[in-house]
Amino acid sequence: MLNLSSFVQKAQQLLDPTQGLNLSESDRNPSKASLFQSQFRLPSSQHPLYEITAELTIPPANATQGDRDRDRGFQYAGKLHLSEAYLCFSTTPSSFQQSASTSSSSIFTGQTHGGGPSGNGFTFPLCAIRRVERLHSQTFQFALSIATWNGISQDAAKEKDKKDLKEQRITVQLAGTRPACERFCDGLKKGLRANVGNVGKLKKVTAECYSEYLLRPEDKKNASPPDAGLGMLFKYPGDPKKLRDRAKMRLWAEYLRDNGRNVTLIRQPTFHKLIRVGLPNRLRGEMWELTSGSIYLRLENPTLYSDTLSKFSGRESLAIDEIEKDLNRSLPEYPGFQSEEGIGRLRRVLTAYSWVNADVGYCQAMNIVVAALLIYMSETQAFFLLSALCDRLVPGYYSTTMYGTLLDQKVFESLVEKTMPILWEHLVKSDVQLSVVSLPWFLSLYINSMPLVFAFRVLDVFFVEGPKVLFQVGLAILRINGEELLDAADDGAFISVLKSYFARLDESAHPKSENPKLRAVTKFQELMVVAFKEFSGITHSSITELRLKNKDAVLNNIESFAKRTAIRNLSPDSKLLSNDELGALYDRFYGVLYERQQRDHILKQEQARRNKSSRSRIAEVASEGDHGIEKGRVGLGPSTSLMDYDAFREFLAGMSKWAISDSPTTPRREALADKDKGFYSSFKRSDALLSPWGAGPEPADHEFLRRLFQKWDADSSSTLTLQKVVSGLARIKGKRDIMGTISYFFELYDDDGDGKVDREGILRMSEALLFLSRRGLEGTLSPSNSTLTLSEGANAGQNDVPGQSVNERFLGSVSAFIRRCFEYADPDHPSNQHNAVREVQEKLQAAQLKETASEELASPDAFAIGDDDDDDDDDDDLLAMESPTGSPKQAKRSDVPGDQQPPELQLNSVQLTPDEDDLALRRRVSKAQSEKANIALDPSNPLHITLPTFRMVVLADELLEQFFESSFPTSFHIIDNLGSSNTPTSASSLTTFSSLGIGAGRAVNAALGGAPVATAPAVGRGLRGVLDNIVTDGMRVAAEVRRRMEEAQKELEKNALPGQRNDEEDEEDEDDPAGGERSSGAGKGVAYGGDPERRSVRSSDRDLLTGADAEASGTSRVGDGIVTGDLSVDGAGPSSGSGAGPGKVVGVEFDG
Amino acid sequence: MADTGNAVKPSSSVKLVLLGEAAVGKSSLVLRFVNNDFQENKEPTIGAAFLTQKCNLPTRTIKFEIWDTAGQERFASLAPMYYRNAQAALVVYDLTKPTSLIKAKHWVAELQRQASPGIVIALVGNKLDLTNDGIGNGADGDGAGSDDSGDARKISTEEAKTYAEEEGLLFFETSAKTGYNVTEVFTAIANAIPETSLKTTRGPGASHAAGRTEEQRVNLNGPRDPNAKEGCAC
Repeated sequence: MLNLSSFVQKAQQLLDPTQGLNLSESDRNPSKASLFQSQFRLPSSQHPLYEITAELTIPPANATQGDRDRDRGFQYAGKLHLSEAYLCFSTTPSSFQQSASTSSSSIFTGQTHGGGPSGNGFTFPLCAIRRVERLHSQTFQFALSIATWNGISQDAAKEKDKKDLKEQRITVQLAGTRPACERFCDGLKKGLRANVGNVGKLKKVTAECYSEYLLRPEDKKNASPPDAGLGMLFKYPGDPKKLRDRAKMRLWAEYLRDNGRNVTLIRQPTFHKLIRVGLPNRLRGEMWELTSGSIYLRLENPTLYSDTLSKFSGRESLAIDEIEKDLNRSLPEYPGFQSEEGIGRLRRVLTAYSWVNADVGYCQAMNIVVAALLIYMSETQAFFLLSALCDRLVPGYYSTTMYGTLLDQKVFESLVEKTMPILWEHLVKSDVQLSVVSLPWFLSLYINSMPLVFAFRVLDVFFVEGPKVLFQVGLAILRINGEELLDAADDGAFISVLKSYFARLDESAHPKSENPKLRAVTKFQELMVVAFKEFSGITHSSITELRLKNKDAVLNNIESFAKRTAIRNLSPDSKLLSNDELGALYDRFYGVLYERQQRDHILKQEQARRNKSSRSRIAEVASEGDHGIEKGRVGLGPSTSLMDYDAFREFLAGMSKWAISDSPTTPRREALADKDKGFYSSFKRSDALLSPWGAGPEPADHEFLRRLFQKWDADSSSTLTLQKVVSGLARIKGKRDIMGTISYFFELYDDDGDGKVDREGILRMSEALLFLSRRGLEGTLSPSNSTLTLSEGANAGQNDVPGQSVNERFLGSVSAFIRRCFEYADPDHPSNQHNAVREVQEKLQAAQLKETASEELASPDAFAIGDDDDDDDDDDDLLAMESPTGSPKQAKRSDVPGDQQPPELQLNSVQLTPDEDDLALRRRVSKAQSEKANIALDPSNPLHITLPTFRMVVLADELLEQFFESSFPTSFHIIDNLGSSNTPTSASSLTTFSSLGIGAGRAVNAALGGAPVATAPAVGRGLRGVLDNIVTDGMRVAAEVRRRMEEAQKELEKNALPGQRNDEEDEEDEDDPAGGERSSGAGKGVAYGGDPERRSVRSSDRDLLTGADAEASGTSRVGDGIVTGDLSVDGAGPSSGSGAGPGKVVGVEFDG
Repeated sequence: MADTGNAVKPSSSVKLVLLGEAAVGKSSLVLRFVNNDFQENKEPTIGAAFLTQKCNLPTRTIKFEIWDTAGQERFASLAPMYYRNAQAALVVYDLTKPTSLIKAKHWVAELQRQASPGIVIALVGNKLDLTNDGIGNGADGDGAGSDDSGDARKISTEEAKTYAEEEGLLFFETSAKTGYNVTEVFTAIANAIPETSLKTTRGPGASHAAGRTEEQRVNLNGPRDPNAKEGCAC
């Protein structure tokens, strides 16, 4: 329940225009809830559950104002609202239509235009209501008599005391259909019951309200009064006589006595008038808290402040450092802040807030504002009021980019332009930037611009009527000083005019007037009159509209500044990339983060919609930490400067085609693994928009990506900053130096950094090479390769894309790479390698390991779902997981070993259930071991390659060399976009052994078919890259075996046997050209299904094999015999499989 | 006031902006220069403060329009508003805080790229009084040398000076508290402003200077008497 409601809350905040400048599309259509919350200044946990037209009757005893009707008291017609924990009444009915725009809604919201508790009425927490009775009424169907806890001391409420007290009792008559009234009353009943438990909290909250003390009978005033700020210790600013504090206090005492105190206060016209003339010192804090609504935040979680302080006690942060710098310089002229007491309070409030809202942390000017608040209120009160300020009243002002401040400056400028065109023209002409003057006004709420006493008067109104007050006052200042400002020709003159004006605010506005009354009017009074009369047209809605209009420009400005700064401040290695590249990287980096956040929000909103029906059951929710500010855009703050692995994948998929998944399986389980699975699973399929990858291609999840991420994540924080990404890419793309790229690649696989990559690593490297090349190579590649001339003829006839042959040849290069790696690898224990047998063993072992690697890659699900024998179930399952397009065919061929599942899924799976894989791996290994009579697997015989070896192996092959020189760095498209034509997602266009070599597959399978130990599954595991490696590896190992057999046949009779058999069978196959034809025909007919990319099975097969042969262990045996030998040994691999027919292999390959 | 004697000299105004990390003493430098005053707990600058001060050169009078900006990181996005059209900039760091020099370098780079071309930039290491060679501790006034054994000094003179030379900046180490070298900074800037880029004063209407019109100068040889006033010697 809690979970759901917090989502609802988040979603509501997203829809809320006045909380945070979430000027998203929902801003133009603020939700009913947000309008409701902002009208009554309620926390975001509150939603308008019921509303009904009603008439409020305040009995004569309570009515102090207006045309008192002796008999009936004072009456207001309006609307009664019920939320989860509040009962609110207002005479200014806000129109809470679902799609109401801010402007249309605010027409109904009176003076504050939806921006505050305007009009007459009340906002009662349900726990403050003592009793509700239904009255018999003649005129109305329903009349409720509501009695509150106002003034009733809840702890020791003796009967006698109660009699002395005047119970606050009001009557509300509901005007609606009977069912509507019933519904409302039912809701109220439920709400009251649910909120009984909060009475304790309420007590805690009101205990800190000065009004409780003020209204206490004189004989009980011995107890110390509640904390009404530092002013009680250090005097309040200003001369109390001049401020007429006593008189104001008397008026307020009377008002509160009649209309309820703190949370039970009823707003009548006098209330607003009393505020406009300035609050009395001791009540100021409480009224600020009440009118800003921060008291309701406090009521929600009264101990949040102290809890936060104790929770983070002793912790350090950047914000705290910044706070410490400013503690001694916050209103230093006020005696309270020259004392440890005042500074301590300031420190605690700012620190606590920096913890609960880490996104904002601490911003200079907050110290001044909080210092001002602390003069009038307790620490706890100031803490919550600061929350209300940052979240609702001046959203974005103190954020790390201060976008709210900048935006409101733009808004202010456009208001000046509109209302004072002559002055505006003058400003433009004399090149005076208005905001250099006005920005501090807004940022510190006039506190350090005007003398304190006057700034507090502005604040009095600001907390009731909202941010528009800041604009009204600002405009009035300019209007009043207009003449003088028109004479000011530069910034300096402009500033000094205003400076001297502020210094004379207490002087008479009309010193020369004959009229003593007029003479008595101070400049400040004049300012207030001008602000609220002349600029009464400045409303909450007009401000909101202007904010909307300017938001994008402001954010763009901030973002381009941030971008410039971020790029310039990157470490020196970023200079390896061009400025354009850095800019593009920056955009991509933050683009991905932003997109992801937006999608996250959409998901949440969707969820909120789904949960709407359950909303009425939502209990009270703590709102701490929810700040409802739109996130993601750089201009809005720092919320997302870190990229996690998933975002990294998405980031790469936007740059490099190899990082795009071959088999989009939206949405996949692992994509949501880090989120609440159960929560999202219900709707993740419902809408394409809700795809975890948005509109972009689904990124691959290959081991290579993971390694790259880890490599870039230099401090192992599991997140990448822009700096890390830039540094990472700079090493690949920056120097364009082949040696650097080779080393870089090697380092990726040198896990322990000891300069060695072991057998496993070699296999993974080659796997990665195939992964990177499967969509074709880019960059400068030589068009032909002399070692591959055999295939040229065939390719020439069949290739539509000229580059394809290069890509095909690359596969050969990779297989040669593996072979050479093992050939030149150094043994970890030199003593182990004393004869040729050992060598062979190693290679065989390598082949097996290769298979173990592939095992590892196999989906663990296979073991769960597979229904056939052990060796087949991999394939079955993989088929099942394939995209649906190919499923009928696959189903038919479920026994086929050669499916071509792209590697992503398996890789994912590996992580999920390593144990299972491990088990399988061992099983296979042991099986193979026994079958191979232990010659292949010798764990005591580890080997490794070093960087020089690796380099040598790479440079030995022209294509590999070109790959590292050009193709790999080029494959990161930082600036240019990947054209959609460049990014085929279907597996059929991939350059792989399997997609190219139907014949290879067929040949392999033919060979395997007769092999005593069928290796088909190993080949046909469906992992394209793995398959390729296995094939290659197998070929190589087979060649070795053959050679060895011939050399030492007698010694190793036992081992020679399978090899011979395979040899024979393969020779048959190869010798029969018709067989080759058949296989290719089968490929066409069944699997390729008219795929234009299909190749000549035979030629590519040959191509590969020849490539392998040419490099085969230095023996002179080039030819079919060896080829078949290769395959047959491969067939002798650890995994046995069903006899694989050639067509079948193909059939599975191209389902994508 | 005192500028009557200079009436014959051409007068021109120069917009100068102060940038640097928070609490490195930007406002204090300005306060020292403009009012020859020092406040231990200066309120943080919100947005920016504006002050003016005149500097009398032998051949002309420079009226500095000083924009003293807020130092906190998040105010950085407001800075372009203030350094717009600036002809001179003081990039200040705290000699005792290495991060502040990094920030200063960022500002220099920002200015070089974004501010008006030909802007005169001075790199100023402040709080010299906290180091052993600081004159506030009684060391020789010329002690702003390479001595790096200062108590709190974290940034050697060489390091900053080398950087300043590379970037073509004026370089000073100052103490706003004692007044050491403060006026020199402004004088050097005034001298470095190319004659051609000077505009004439905007006229009497613009002379609402918050500060005094007479330039203050701290006597180099009398560091313990920072209130000593002298005409600008330059």
